[in-house]
Amino acid sequence: MEHNESKQQVNHKFTPIGIYVALLGLVTLAFGIADIFVWAGVRPGFQVGILAIAGDDFFRWAWGGFIMVSGGLFMLAGSTRVTTLQQSAKVVLGGVLVWLIAGTDIFARLCAAIPADEASSAYFNTLSGFLAAFAPPYTPAVLLLPFTLGIVYLIRMHDTDDS
Amino acid sequence: MVLSSDGRWEMVDAITRETVTYGTYKHTLGDVLGDLTVKPLTGIPVAVAALYAFWSVFTSFAGTLMTDGFMVKFFDGFWLPWMQSLWPDPASWHYFLFVGNPMADTCYEAFGMLTSGLFVSIGVVLPAILVFYMMMTILEDSGYLPRLAVLMDSVLHRIGLHGYAIVPIILGLGCNVPAVTATRILETKKQRFIMMTLLALFIPCGAQLGIMMSVLPDLVGIVMLCLIVGFGIFGFVLNKVIPGENPEILVDVPPYHWPVKEYVAKKLWNRTKGFLKEAVPFVLFGILVVNLLYLGGVIQGLANLLEPVFVTWFGVPKETVGPLIAAFLRKDLAIAQLSTIPMTTYQMVASVVLVTIYFPCVATFVVMLREGWKELIAAVVVLFVVVFIYGGIIHGIGILLGVA
Repeated sequence: MEHNESKQQVNHKFTPIGIYVALLGLVTLAFGIADIFVWAGVRPGFQVGILAIAGDDFFRWAWGGFIMVSGGLFMLAGSTRVTTLQQSAKVVLGGVLVWLIAGTDIFARLCAAIPADEASSAYFNTLSGFLAAFAPPYTPAVLLLPFTLGIVYLIRMHDTDDS
Repeated sequence: MVLSSDGRWEMVDAITRETVTYGTYKHTLGDVLGDLTVKPLTGIPVAVAALYAFWSVFTSFAGTLMTDGFMVKFFDGFWLPWMQSLWPDPASWHYFLFVGNPMADTCYEAFGMLTSGLFVSIGVVLPAILVFYMMMTILEDSGYLPRLAVLMDSVLHRIGLHGYAIVPIILGLGCNVPAVTATRILETKKQRFIMMTLLALFIPCGAQLGIMMSVLPDLVGIVMLCLIVGFGIFGFVLNKVIPGENPEILVDVPPYHWPVKEYVAKKLWNRTKGFLKEAVPFVLFGILVVNLLYLGGVIQGLANLLEPVFVTWFGVPKETVGPLIAAFLRKDLAIAQLSTIPMTTYQMVASVVLVTIYFPCVATFVVMLREGWKELIAAVVVLFVVVFIYGGIIHGIGILLGVA
C-alpha cells in the first residue's frame, strides 16, 4: 500500500513531504548563513530564546556554517519530486550534514561535561553539573535535529521499496 | 574422471543454473549516496563535513575530555609535585634529567624525562592517537576513504600524485611512521619520493597537533593554513622538477556499509599498540638526550652559531634553536618547549611552522631510511632547501604585514 502511494507521488513535483523538506532546507540555509555572518562580524553573537550563535570560533562557525549552507542547499535541491531515489538521496545527504554538525556539538558538550571544573580538586563532575551542561541555549544545528528526523521517513520508504 | 570440453561446459551451465540469479539490478539509496559523494559538486561539501567531524571529535575527546579534563589535573596537580618532593637534590644533574626544572608548576615547563616525558606520551599523545585511529578506521571501514580518494584524484594529480595518496596524508596526521610505509601504495619512484618529502615537511603528526591544541589553540588554524599552502606550492614544484611518471589509477569503490565493531576494535588495538611501542620510548629517550645536550652545553653552542640565520632570516629568537634540535627527536616536545619561550604571535607561528617543516623526527627518519638511503638523502636536501626558502617567505610576508 505504502509502496503504491510512493510510486504515485513520483509524478507530483510538490508533495507535502517535499514542501516540508524545502522549508527545512530554507531554515538550514538561513542558519548556515547566520553562522558565517556572525563569525565574520557582520553582527555580534546573539541569543534568542533557546537559540544561540556565538560566532567566536572560525572552525565551528565559519567552517561549520559552510556545512550548514551546503546541507540546506542539498535539501532544497532534492525537495521537488522528493520521493524519487535521486532526489531523496540529495535530501538525505543534506540531513546527514546537519546531523554531523549537531552530533559534534552534542559530543563537544558531553566531553566538556564529564570532567569537573578546573578549579575543583575532583576529577569527575557532579551529576547536577553534568546535567546543567546540556541546558539551553543550543546551536542552530542542535535545534534543527528533531525536525530533520522527517528525513528518516524517506530512508525508511526506500528501505521498504528495496525489500 | 576426465571430462571432455563439452562435459565441462555442461557442468558450468548446471552450476550457473543453480547459483546465478538473473534480473535487473535495482539501485538503492546507498548506491545513489555513494555516487553523490564522488561527484565534485556534492562530494566536496561532504568531504569538508567529514574533515570537520573528524577534527571536532578529535579536539573534543583528546583535548577537552582527556588532556584538559583529566590528564593535566593528574600530572600537574599530583604527579609533578610528587616527583619534585620525592626526587632528592634538586640541584643535581640527575634531577635535571629525570624531573627537570624544580620551580616548574606544569609538566610543560618541567621538561624532565619522568615528568614532561610521561605527560606528553600518556597524557597528550595517547588520547590523540587513540581517537585519530578510531576515526580513521571508521572512515576506512565504512567505505568513505576510497570515495575520498576518487574525489581527490584530480587535485592530487596536479602535484604528481593520485587519489590514493590521501591514505598516507591522513595517516600522517596520526603518525608519519606508518604514513611513510603507506607511500608504497603509490606506483612510481617519483610519486613515492614526492609523497615522502611532503609528509616529512608539511604534515604535522597527531602528537604535534595534540600539543598545538593544548598550548597554542588560537594559532593552530594559521599554522595549518601555512602548511597547506606550502604543501600545494612545493608539491607542484617537485612534480615539475623531478623526472618520472604519474600513472592513472583504477579504484574499486566498495558500497557503503556499517563498520563491524570487532574489526574496528582489532585495527584500533593493533595501530595503537604499534604507536605505543615505537613512539613512547622515543619521547622518553628524546627528552633524556635533549637534556644531556643542554647539560653538555651543545645546544647553547649551536644557538650561538645559528643565531644570525634564525634571527635575521627567519625572524625568530635564538632560543628556538634548542627546540629545533629537540624536534629531530620528537616534534611534539619541541612545540611544548617553544610554548615556554616568550615570543610575539608572528614568532610563535613562524617557529611552530619551522618545527613542522624542519627535519622529520628520528622515528620517521629511520623508516625513510628503510625505504632507501638515496631517497632519504635527496629528501633531506630538499628539506633544507624548502625550510630555508619557505621560512624566509613567511618572514617576508610577516614584514610586509608589519607583524614580524
